Amino acid sequence: MLGGLARFVLRAVRAAARLTRAGRWVMLRVLINQIRFTALQAIGLVAFLAAILAFLVISQSIRQLGRFGAVDNLGTIMVVAVIRELGPLLTALIVVSRSGTAIAAEMATNRVMGEVTALEAMGIDPYIYLVLPRMLGAIVSVATLMVLFDAVALVSGYVAAATSGMALSRYTAIVLKTLSAKDVWLTLVKGVFFGASVALFCSYHGLAVKAGPTEIPQAVTRGVVATIVAIFILSAVFVVVAA
Amino acid sequence: MTASPASIVLGPGVTEIAGAPPLVYRNVDLLGRPDLPDRRFNLVIEAGAVVAAIGEEDSGIEALGGLALGLLAPTSGSVEVFGVPIAQLPYYELLAFRRRVGYAPQGDGLLQNLTLKDNVALPVRFATDHRLREVEARVAQLIDDFRLRAIVTLRPAQANEEDRRRAALARAAALDPKLVVLELPFVGLTSRAALDLLEKVSRCDDGSRRAVLLTSRDLTPSVRGLVTRVVRVVDGVAVEDKK
Repeated sequence: MLGGLARFVLRAVRAAARLTRAGRWVMLRVLINQIRFTALQAIGLVAFLAAILAFLVISQSIRQLGRFGAVDNLGTIMVVAVIRELGPLLTALIVVSRSGTAIAAEMATNRVMGEVTALEAMGIDPYIYLVLPRMLGAIVSVATLMVLFDAVALVSGYVAAATSGMALSRYTAIVLKTLSAKDVWLTLVKGVFFGASVALFCSYHGLAVKAGPTEIPQAVTRGVVATIVAIFILSAVFVVVAA
Repeated sequence: MTASPASIVLGPGVTEIAGAPPLVYRNVDLLGRPDLPDRRFNLVIEAGAVVAAIGEEDSGIEALGGLALGLLAPTSGSVEVFGVPIAQLPYYELLAFRRRVGYAPQGDGLLQNLTLKDNVALPVRFATDHRLREVEARVAQLIDDFRLRAIVTLRPAQANEEDRRRAALARAAALDPKLVVLELPFVGLTSRAALDLLEKVSRCDDGSRRAVLLTSRDLTPSVRGLVTRVVRVVDGVAVEDKK
C-alpha cells in the first residue's frame, strides 16, 4: 500500500505541473467549492466543539489545580493539551468524518460510474480534475479550521476561568506566558499535513474501487480508518520533532 | 530513433506516420479467446469514412472503442491510430494522443455532477491551453451546433436521453478530431435524431468529412444513407463488409 500511496502522491504532484490555463480556472472553481464544503460548512461544528472542549478542560483544571495552589499551570494545560494536541486532532477528525467520507464516496462513485475512464478517454488526467483540487482544498480548510479552533478555545477557556472567578488580565497573562510563535506555526504545519492526509488517503481508497457499487462503503471505511491512523501517527511524530 | 520529416515522435519507439489511415485493427482478438486463433478482427478505416460495425451482444463490438482509445490493450494483433500502435504509448503520451480522437462511450459517459455545458467544455478546458474566452467561444459554438442552448444548465440526470446523447457527441467533437469513435450512439433515439447527430459529428469544423467508427446493433435505413461502410461482426470476426 505504501508504494501505491507514493505513486499516488507523485502523480498528483505531476498533475499540478500539467494544468492548462483554462484548467486552472476550473480547478479554482472546484477548489473553492471544496473549501466551502470542508471549511465554511464546518465552522459551526468546529467552533462548538472547541468551545465545549476548552470549557470542560479549563473548568476541571482550575478546580483540580486550585486545590494544590497551582493555577498558574493553567496556561500549560491550555496551550499544550488543547491548542497544541487536542485542537489539531479534533479538527482533523471532524474534517475526516464530514469531508473525508464525502471525498472517498465521490471518488469511488466516479470510478464505478465510469467517469474516471471517461476523463482518461478525453485525454484528461483524472488527478488534475479530481485529486488536486481536493488535496489543496483539504489543506487550506484543515489549517484554517485549526486556527479557528484555537481562537475559540482560548475565548471559551477564558469564559471557564471567569466563571471560577479568574480575571481576564490574569488569564491572559497565564496563557501568553506559555503560548509562543512556535505554537502558531506548528498549528499551520499540522494543518498542511493533516489536510493532505485526509485528501490523500480518502482519494486513494476511493479511486482504488474496481468491482462495483458494493465496494463504495468499504472504500469509505478504508479511507477514513487509514486517515485516522495516519493523523495519530503524525501527531506523535510532531511531538518528537517539535521537542 | 530517426523519424522522417512528416512523422512525429510521440514516445520511446513510437512515431506517428503522416498519411496513415486514422484507425487500423490488425488480427485483433475481440473476444479474449487466445485458443481460437482464427477468430481475429481486421478493419482499416480510411480518412473521411463513416464505418458502422454492427453486431449482437458478445459479438466483440463492445471492445472496439476501448481498443481504439488505448483503454484496452489487444491481447493479440495491434490497433493503430494514425499509424501509432496506441497500446504502446506511455501513460502521459497516451493521454495527450487521445485528444486526437473523439469518443462517446456506451451510455453517454457524462460526468453527473457537471451541467451539460460543463461536460461539453471539459476537453477544451483541460486538454488545450486556450485562453478562457477562446474556450467559452468554442463551447458556445458546440452548444449551438448540437442544439443544446435551451438545456445547457441541466445536469445529465435532468436531461432526456436524446439531449444527453447530443451533449456526449458535442464533447466528442469538441477538439475537432479527425477520428471519432461512437459506441452504440443511437440507442433510444428516433431515426431522425440519429441522422441529425451523425451528420453533425461526421463533419469537421472546416466542412470536410471526419473518419467515424460507430458500433451498433442495427442501422435504420436513413442512418445507413450516411454510412460509407457497414461491417457485420460475428464472434469477433468481420463476416460481411458492405460499401
